[in-house]
Amino acid sequence: MENRPLGYDYTVAKMFMLTTIVLGIVGMLIGVILAFELAFPSINTILGSGLAEYTNFSRLRPLHTDAVIFGFTISGVFATWYYVGQRVLKVNMAESPLLMFLGKLQFWLYVVTVAAVVVSLLAGVTTSKEYAEFEWPIDLAIVVVWVLFGVNMFGLIGMRREKSLYISVWYYIATFLGIAMLYLFNNMEVPTMLATSAAGETGIGSWYHSVSMYAGTNDALVQWWYGHNAVAFGFTVPIVAMIYYFLPKESGQAIYSYKLSLLSFWGLMFVYLWAGGHHLLFSTVPDWMQTMGSIFSIVLILPSWGSAINMLLTMKGEWQQVAASPLIKFMVLGSTFYMFSTLEGPIQAIKSVNAIAHFTDWIVGHVHDGVLGWVGFMIMAALYHMAPRVFKREIYSKSLMASQFWIQTLGVVLYFTSMWIAGITQGMMWRAHDEFGNLAYSFIDTVTVLHPYYAIRGVGGLLYLIGFLMFAYNIYKTMTAGKPLEKEPANASPMGA
Amino acid sequence: MNIADLQAYGYFAITVFMTVSLYAYIYHLYKNKKDADGHDYEEYSNMALHDDIGDTPVNPISKDDKK
Amino acid sequence: MFHWLEKNPFFFAVGVFVTIAFAGLIEIVPNFAEASRPVIGTTPYSTLELAGRNVYIKNSCNACHSQLIRPFKSETDRYGHYSLSGEYAFDRPFLWGSKRTGPDLHRVGNYRTTDWHENHMKDPAAVVPGSIMPKYTWMYTNLADIDTAFAEQLTVNQFFAVPYNKPVPMKDGSTTVVKMGGSVAEANALALAEAKEIVKDMKDQDVKDAVASGKIPEIVALIAYMNSLK
Repeated sequence: MENRPLGYDYTVAKMFMLTTIVLGIVGMLIGVILAFELAFPSINTILGSGLAEYTNFSRLRPLHTDAVIFGFTISGVFATWYYVGQRVLKVNMAESPLLMFLGKLQFWLYVVTVAAVVVSLLAGVTTSKEYAEFEWPIDLAIVVVWVLFGVNMFGLIGMRREKSLYISVWYYIATFLGIAMLYLFNNMEVPTMLATSAAGETGIGSWYHSVSMYAGTNDALVQWWYGHNAVAFGFTVPIVAMIYYFLPKESGQAIYSYKLSLLSFWGLMFVYLWAGGHHLLFSTVPDWMQTMGSIFSIVLILPSWGSAINMLLTMKGEWQQVAASPLIKFMVLGSTFYMFSTLEGPIQAIKSVNAIAHFTDWIVGHVHDGVLGWVGFMIMAALYHMAPRVFKREIYSKSLMASQFWIQTLGVVLYFTSMWIAGITQGMMWRAHDEFGNLAYSFIDTVTVLHPYYAIRGVGGLLYLIGFLMFAYNIYKTMTAGKPLEKEPANASPMGA
Repeated sequence: MNIADLQAYGYFAITVFMTVSLYAYIYHLYKNKKDADGHDYEEYSNMALHDDIGDTPVNPISKDDKK
Repeated sequence: MFHWLEKNPFFFAVGVFVTIAFAGLIEIVPNFAEASRPVIGTTPYSTLELAGRNVYIKNSCNACHSQLIRPFKSETDRYGHYSLSGEYAFDRPFLWGSKRTGPDLHRVGNYRTTDWHENHMKDPAAVVPGSIMPKYTWMYTNLADIDTAFAEQLTVNQFFAVPYNKPVPMKDGSTTVVKMGGSVAEANALALAEAKEIVKDMKDQDVKDAVASGKIPEIVALIAYMNSLK
């Protein structure tokens, strides 16, 4: 046998674990503030009217979505890649000093970019395209971070000792390629400083301002092809990558069916990209595209459920583990929420349902049962599983983890139930006519009626945030005060009381 | 024939092709059970379970297929 | 057969890329030429309107307001004629939004006035009791960025042939010309002239004074933009 290093090097994984937690707190905290601003508008000026510009709903909203997508989730993807990638390929990242350097470079550049994003969004520098709000200088920085990620990924793959790529690696590769393609095409823009006036002046106005390469309907089409698939390749594909590794590893059970995972992978890759059109039903894009978006959204249930069922069946005969381990609870509830939101999404994509659901809070509810229930739970579970192996200490507290699980589950349930009711109520009120054929409600009637649901949603979000803070505390204590471990646990992660 | 017609025919052809290939692939996977290297597909699950740096790879990279 | 891909990362990546790129090619590319033609009567934005549009974007108004009227009776009753693709031909970026926390604004210029917006942006709940919209008081003091709006006009004119200083056909058969300045100073003068028309209908003395002294607060630009949405 050739010379092998003694272990894996988790330096870069640890760095990204830190940003996952910090940016998770930031993103969720802003989310809770936003939720309460809708319920109690006076919170918009909570820091006084002088700072109202920076605390009001509309300025903070992109910061919330971007902090959660590009901060919390993408950090989680990086952290787990630098952990899972080494292990399933059986290479130590430190075997290549170049890759170690590029990994650290990627981290620091990422941190700088995040800081630039926070400052620019607070200042109102935005392109307005959802989840692609950044202006061109930041876009360029993001491209560099992403390329470094790709170089690291393919670098590790090139050094591998295991010839076949494990399922998770397929999904990580798809994440890399998918986001690269989508991000580049959606952010095609022309910096306005390139323009020259008739008088010969150049570099007029803000240097960072730009205009989109696409106009109107085309811009919408490209944006929602991106927007929908940013969800696909940020919130689904890499999270599936995580669960394919962490659930079998934590439970000690082999995947129920490797063949099914092959099918659902290629199925998901093929189908997902078509479904973007469902964001534009009844808009001015051609009918056939809308129908296509609708149909493919329904077809999408198949590959999504393929993965989810594969996960649940992996636990076949081992359900006592779900009762015994809060870590497994997170993952099993996560895949259940995945099944649930991949059924809910297609239902909302049916034209007649969409007529009521579009533009309402039901969509917000749908996003959050997926993101809180599936993405959030899975990333936290992954970090919990990694902590004992990375820090070589027992998880600090099992009971804390169990209480966190129930608090957050309650939070998610409050969140999506209130948003369903709010969305359907509002959708029905907008279209209600009285006996003479006049609109039954003025717009403001449909806003004031939502107050209780907005308040409940705020409470739900707050519970989830509290749970996340418990998670952060638990990981911190694991790092500093957990019982040191002699050797790496094979499966179930050891937990203190 | 305009672009929309072409799209429609192309669409139909591709749908039929994709459906046939999908089912053929499923049939192939479950009939053969093993891949070209003679490994049962289900063995690959062990890549996650036995992932210690000292564990033997399911399908080690040999010297001659370095690329 | 297929498992060969999982052992060859390069071809695997190529396979994934082809599979995911396919949908975009078929769905997006064919539409490009057709959708970008403006309908008759759609004019490019003036400098001040564009500066106002940038204020709208800066404050993410599109987070809560859509600009897309769907073809349902309930929507055409409430907001006016349903939206047409060509009406957005000069919208870079598009501002359809994805959530209606507040009402649609695609034709707000038909039924709201300068005076209404002035009061409403200052204190929405005073104009619409029960409104949960925040106050946008800083727009009355921050100045609109006319230079950048001008640079944007030049860019779309030079790169995308948006017709400035050229006759544009209108619905009644006549033509109209949207002027764009030849220099920064000229652009500012055009914007100021337009701003002066708008402040005639406004009451806020500070805003009136600012415009009289040659400065354009954000609110004036925003109202110019709102009024152009018809």
